[in-house]
Amino acid sequence: MAKLAVDIRNVAKRYEQHVAVRDLSLQVPVGSVYGLLGPNGAGKTTTIRMILDIIAPDSGTITVLDQPHRTPGILSRIGYLPEERGLYKKMQVKRVLLFLAELKGVSGKEATRRIDEWLERMSLATPEKNWGDAKIDELSRGMQQKVQFIATLVHDPDLVILDEPFSGLDPINAQALKDTVVELKRRGKTVIFSTHVMDNAERMCDSVCIIAKGEKVLDGSVAEVRKQHGGRNVALGLVGAEEAVGVVLRDPRLVQRVDDNNRFFEIELAPMADPQVLLRRLIDAGASIERFELVQPSLHQIFIQRVGAAGVETGMSGHG
Amino acid sequence: MDKKIFIVAKREYLERVRSRWFIVMTLAVPALLVLAMVIPIMMSLRSSSSPNVRRIRILDATGGGLGNRVAEAIKADSSTRSDTVTGPTVVVATPAELPKLEEDAIRDVMKPKSLIGVLVLTDSTLAGKSARYSGRNASTISDIDKLESAVRQSVMMVRLQGEGVKPQTANELSRLRVRMPAERVGDKGRGGSGTTGIIVGIVFGALLLMSIIVHGQNVMRGVLDEKTTRVAEVVLSSVKPEALLAGKVLGVGAVGLTQIVTWLGLSAYSANFVMPMIFKAVGGGAAAASTAGAISGPGSVFGGMTLGVFAIAIGYFVLGFVFYATLYAAVGSMVNSEQEAQQAGVPVMLLLMSGWIFLNPVLINPNSTLAVVLSWLPWTSPILMPIRMGLTSVSPLSVTGSMICAALGSIAAVWLAARIYRVGMLMYGKKPSLREVAKWIRYA
Repeated sequence: MAKLAVDIRNVAKRYEQHVAVRDLSLQVPVGSVYGLLGPNGAGKTTTIRMILDIIAPDSGTITVLDQPHRTPGILSRIGYLPEERGLYKKMQVKRVLLFLAELKGVSGKEATRRIDEWLERMSLATPEKNWGDAKIDELSRGMQQKVQFIATLVHDPDLVILDEPFSGLDPINAQALKDTVVELKRRGKTVIFSTHVMDNAERMCDSVCIIAKGEKVLDGSVAEVRKQHGGRNVALGLVGAEEAVGVVLRDPRLVQRVDDNNRFFEIELAPMADPQVLLRRLIDAGASIERFELVQPSLHQIFIQRVGAAGVETGMSGHG
Repeated sequence: MDKKIFIVAKREYLERVRSRWFIVMTLAVPALLVLAMVIPIMMSLRSSSSPNVRRIRILDATGGGLGNRVAEAIKADSSTRSDTVTGPTVVVATPAELPKLEEDAIRDVMKPKSLIGVLVLTDSTLAGKSARYSGRNASTISDIDKLESAVRQSVMMVRLQGEGVKPQTANELSRLRVRMPAERVGDKGRGGSGTTGIIVGIVFGALLLMSIIVHGQNVMRGVLDEKTTRVAEVVLSSVKPEALLAGKVLGVGAVGLTQIVTWLGLSAYSANFVMPMIFKAVGGGAAAASTAGAISGPGSVFGGMTLGVFAIAIGYFVLGFVFYATLYAAVGSMVNSEQEAQQAGVPVMLLLMSGWIFLNPVLINPNSTLAVVLSWLPWTSPILMPIRMGLTSVSPLSVTGSMICAALGSIAAVWLAARIYRVGMLMYGKKPSLREVAKWIRYA
């Protein structure tokens, strides 16, 4: 078994009004890009905060980088980008970064060197203007995000945790973030990010864990997850005989669920249904078939299928 | 101890000390204090040098030359000197002429820019009973004082000479004045003057209270700021909440200490060196210089405060600050906005003011039971004990005991605040009810 960067076992966290996480276990292999997926209020942020020992679990154990997560000094090896971004507004950029780096155990001199490097790399320090000397609130939103990003990585952490990293990013910064994640992986670092945007996860993650209502719905490598859910999905393209086709697609013996994109359908077959029967019925209905393919579902499909509307608890987006 | 506490404290300290607000406050307060002490004295000097008393007419119906003596006494008073007005005019009259002359004089006073007033001297004056004055400056206390003492001196001189006393001696006797500064004596000997002890006590207590309020609320605002800007979550992913709280209180406390030491240093310096210089420059003479000198008695830095009392006062500031600042931090972590913070901070403020409310009885009788009790309670002792120590002698045992009480109080406050803070920092949304906060304390 591969070495684990994070190993969560039977962790639970209850609040007064609701259960944020119940009996969650998940394993993040070292050197992987790991997606923590789930609707708002699923318990993603709570899980992340427990890994970082910001809040304590009621029960269960968490191991980070082969040590209990409460080990002193372990936090210095983790970089964290919270969903709600924030920095000291009235403070100089360089001083904020120096402060946060020192808290992660980087010496002042080394931190100063790295900060200058990062500012240049993120084009915050150019020959015309060095934003490092500006105060945080003089920076544009995009620039503040870059600074926050530097703060997450300046101490060269082995484990990087990004909570909803893409929210609020413009396309250029989003691309920069993706590039950085790829580079981190190449350097053997582990990246965990939470998101509810499945496209990003599908493209970037090696493994994912989908959680809903504080419970794990499924986990594993993306390829594995898709394979497990493959063969039951049909990509269908057809023209004509709309009414008759509608009747066929509404037959519960054949079709569990239809994602109707007008001229293109993504169909999840009913349990025990034979795709050949579906094809024959559609031809009999008089439609002209342009495409009929057994496919592996997208993460998005799997997510909708497994979590569904029921998985989204309402009014609980407080912790993202 | 956790090294991160010092990193947090360092940031707090440097960011605050660098701010313009801090520099202005640190320099402005001693300047204001000095002004508050200098201005009243300067005012009394200034107003007494009003040359108005020279612009009067003296109607002398005594027949004994009293009018001229009064005029001379007024001219001799250096504080009424003037380059443009030569002095009061004297009109000698018989008692019969007096009513008409007085009428005329008053009519002259009513004309703008001429006579200021008219002083009527009669036999009754010479008998030591009464004189009459009517003038535009009748409500200027210093002018009337001047006139009164000039008349009194002159009457005394005339009468003494009438009794056969040599003019030289009569002159000296009539100017006789006894100064009696009241000096306080305690267990350790003499120390400062009685009245200045009270004034310095009030000023000193106010400074301590103000510093605790200002810097305590700075801690609250700092905590609230970290919470609302959400920077708290980033910081808490590196530091335990207890360390963040400790560092913040330590850093802001160091700022307060820097400020207080600067204030006291500058104030002591100005009381001992600058103020006498100012008085000399203003020309207030020996009287003013001795007033300033009285503020800093022999062997003391400032009023009744010796260096030892200063050191203990600073110790109390530290204890009081830790007590109140951590409570304020807890308040800051509970709420979501400045307005809510002001509201939720009221109980802490009431606790703080509970000491100040009893300042007056403590000043009047620093050895009363009330004063003793208040100087033992952890939430009032940091403000009242240093004042009491400036006013009276407190046994070292009581000081030690009261400080231990204050320290225990601080520890309890830290314990309580840390529990609220831990939970509060990550709680957004509705302001928690008291019941919820109690739950945080129990389960944190």
